Amino acid sequence: MSTKLAKWIFYVGTISSAVLFLFLTWDTHRQIGTLTHADRLSDEVVAGKRVFQKYNCNDCHTILGFGGYYAPDLTKVYQRRGESYIRRALAQPEVLFAKSFRKMPQQNLSSEEIDKLVAFFRWVNDINTNDWPPQDSKKRRKSGVNRLLESATMSLGAALFKENNCFDCHSLKGVGGDTGPALDDVGSRLTLDRIKQQIRNPEALNPDSEMPAYPDLSESDLQALADFLLKQKGGE
Amino acid sequence: MIKYESQRVAYPYFVIALLLFGLQVIMGLWLAINYAFTLPQSLVDVFPFATARAFHTNLLVLWMLLGFMGGTYYMVPEESESELYSTKLAYLQLVILVGTGVAALIGFLFGWTQGRPLLEIPFELDLLVVLGALIFLFNIAMTLIKAKNWTMIQGTLLGGLTFLALLYLFGIPFYKNLSIDWYYWWWVIHLWVEGAWELITGAIMAWILMRITGVPRKTVEKWLYVEIGLFLFTGIVGTGHHYYWIGAPRYWLWFGGIFSALEPLPIAFMVWDTLRHVKERRVEIKNKAVLTLAIGSVIYHFIGAGVWGFIHTLPQINYYTHGSQITVSHGHLAFFGAYALLIITIFYYAFPNLKGYSNYKQTLANWAFWITSSTMMIIGLVFGVAGVLQTYLERIMGLGYMNAQAQMQFWFKIAIFTGVFFLAGVIMWIYDLLNLKPAESES
Ligand code: HEC
Ligand code: HEC
Ligand code: HEM
Ligand code: HEM
Ligand SMILES: [Fe+2]
Repeated sequence: MSTKLAKWIFYVGTISSAVLFLFLTWDTHRQIGTLTHADRLSDEVVAGKRVFQKYNCNDCHTILGFGGYYAPDLTKVYQRRGESYIRRALAQPEVLFAKSFRKMPQQNLSSEEIDKLVAFFRWVNDINTNDWPPQDSKKRRKSGVNRLLESATMSLGAALFKENNCFDCHSLKGVGGDTGPALDDVGSRLTLDRIKQQIRNPEALNPDSEMPAYPDLSESDLQALADFLLKQKGGE
Repeated sequence: MIKYESQRVAYPYFVIALLLFGLQVIMGLWLAINYAFTLPQSLVDVFPFATARAFHTNLLVLWMLLGFMGGTYYMVPEESESELYSTKLAYLQLVILVGTGVAALIGFLFGWTQGRPLLEIPFELDLLVVLGALIFLFNIAMTLIKAKNWTMIQGTLLGGLTFLALLYLFGIPFYKNLSIDWYYWWWVIHLWVEGAWELITGAIMAWILMRITGVPRKTVEKWLYVEIGLFLFTGIVGTGHHYYWIGAPRYWLWFGGIFSALEPLPIAFMVWDTLRHVKERRVEIKNKAVLTLAIGSVIYHFIGAGVWGFIHTLPQINYYTHGSQITVSHGHLAFFGAYALLIITIFYYAFPNLKGYSNYKQTLANWAFWITSSTMMIIGLVFGVAGVLQTYLERIMGLGYMNAQAQMQFWFKIAIFTGVFFLAGVIMWIYDLLNLKPAESES
């Protein structure tokens, strides 16, 4: 190869890639407003982003998958945990995560700061991330529920239990988390109504409950889930 | 032996870089302890993981930049055949940058931060970094202008450094939109490690090889054109592999996926190039430690960046692995192989010359290389296993983040155990370089 050709490779390679990249950047700017629904980017949301940066939350938590990998991704936390759970995590992490093997610092956030953060998470939740992250994907959850049902080994209730992150905190037959009680015998301890209430609004039963509420479950899904739990009578 | 008195300014850069490297690794061990054990709330409240991580990564960037700058100050006089424009400016710049670094670390302890990973340094300190960078570029540019001895290697080096400084500017503003924020965050991080820093690496590696092997400049420079051309062609649009899930248009899955999948090519090319230069050497290579380090670095570069990068760069895979311990595994192997080993190569090339003997005892250098390289490989694999487990349990099985993390404690204990040996290797490097002894034959 001659030096001349080598130089050509350098110039053509660099310039073509740079031009393409700058063009795509321009086009991304054109589209990103819609993809992130920037019209809802209110002052409060921006203030929330500033709070998020002020406390360096991002070096423990990822958001959009970037940052420290030490704590749950916050892109879809609004959908996953709901507002009141987020507020408790922010106001009293030392209480909410007292039993956890990993701690979040008590940063003495003011209630305005918490409001702003919640607004920020609500906005972030709706960014079009091409269905990332998989663990929070509603599309995948649906197909996940369907897949589980099709496999015919699982009832609708069981599939809902799995797909609504209940295993995060509860275990069945030794599988799952231990933030909440094991549910193997819950059917012999609680009534159907009580179980439903626990799922819809745990704080009504226990103001300090660590369990998030699930207001978005449809009535029929709630019924199926509760029926499934009622069948867990222990034994075997 | 050095040829120009002003090359000596490189020495304090190197020494400070080495010490910061040691500190960075200690912070790495502390991070792993955070993963492996439950720390009391009272400790987490005052010195959280987040602060320690900012220490670990900022120390990394700082020592590497000091290494590159010192390396440049060492190289440019010989390459341009003239003294540096100003040694005073070089020292002033060092004081500014190290002072900024120390202020930043102390600031982090008290919550003075911009709160963006890797770019935590607050705005006011960013300005000082820019000042330091401007002095540096001015000093180097003036040296070259006065010397009127332009070479392609210097052009690549200065080009890479200027590109590096320009990109830093995109990391300074506050962005209201989180997605746009990350869009430009990657202009700094990706275009650094897969763009500007690769140019610097290409130039330094070519220069050292030319020096130790005696291969003619024309050959070295010709292949360097091809290499950096490929790096920039694949690396610039390759930035798109970070834009899959941030709220950017969907076409990035295609552009990012295809271009970044080609990124291992220039790295493979660099391996081939290096091995061929060594094979075709015209002189006997005395500084064997440098040879081992240089070859070790390009091969490790290929494994950590090329192979480990490729594994998770396609969107179909990245969907599951994005932002998991797999990323950490890749980050460590790539940074260690490509840049830590490169800078240590510069040190083992420059230190004996700066101290005035052409031959030195290389036992410790070899031990340190093999210890650090093998233990970092194990650490990388351990993070990798942890990452596969995390991805499977959390994202495929749907067990939830914290349940998947419960598995991490075991693997991070292994990382700590291995990390202690890694740290020992780094301490050997530091000790050896600071106490270099001439070989028997010379003393
Ligand atoms: C030292 C690391 C650390 C820092 C800093 C930190 N967190 Fe956390 N955070 C955690 C950990 C660990 C958990 C999960 C604890 C558990 O579930 O057992 C958590 C949980 C949360 C949750 C609940 C997430 C879920 O899915 O259950 C939210 C919301 C949250 N943090 C927000 C924040 C915000 C906002 C900040 C900054 C003001 C912040 N965190 C700073 C470590 C941290
Ligand atoms: C973040 C953790 C968490 C998640 C997620 C969670 N729970 Fe709970 N759950 C708890 C805790 C803690 C309790 C203990 C009582 C309390 O504090 O409210 C509990 C209690 C319960 C109880 C009563 C158990 C008893 O023995 O008294 C039921 C039933 C229950 N949860 C069902 C569910 C279902 C169904 C889901 C998923 C849709 C779910 N939980 C998700 C934490 C959680
Ligand atoms: C004993 C050795 C080391 C240990 C135990 C260690 C451990 C860690 C840990 C636990 C993290 C945090 C990951 C997270 O956010 O969850 C981290 C981050 C990081 N470390 Fe290290 N580290 C070590 C040495 C090094 C070295 C030598 C380098 C570079 C040459 C390095 C580069 C990095 C980088 C770039 C990150 C950020 C990773 C990312 O964002 O993906 N570390 N390290
Ligand atoms: C020497 C060169 C390289 C270095 C030092 C390096 C370092 C890193 C680091 C530190 C990260 C994590 C950043 C963060 O999120 O905090 C990262 C991410 C990534 N790198 Fe590299 N890298 C290099 C080359 C490459 C190459 C050549 C490829 C592809 C072939 C690649 C593919 C990726 C991908 C896909 C990610 C994103 C991971 C995710 O989605 O979480 N890297 N790299
Ligand atoms: Fe990249």
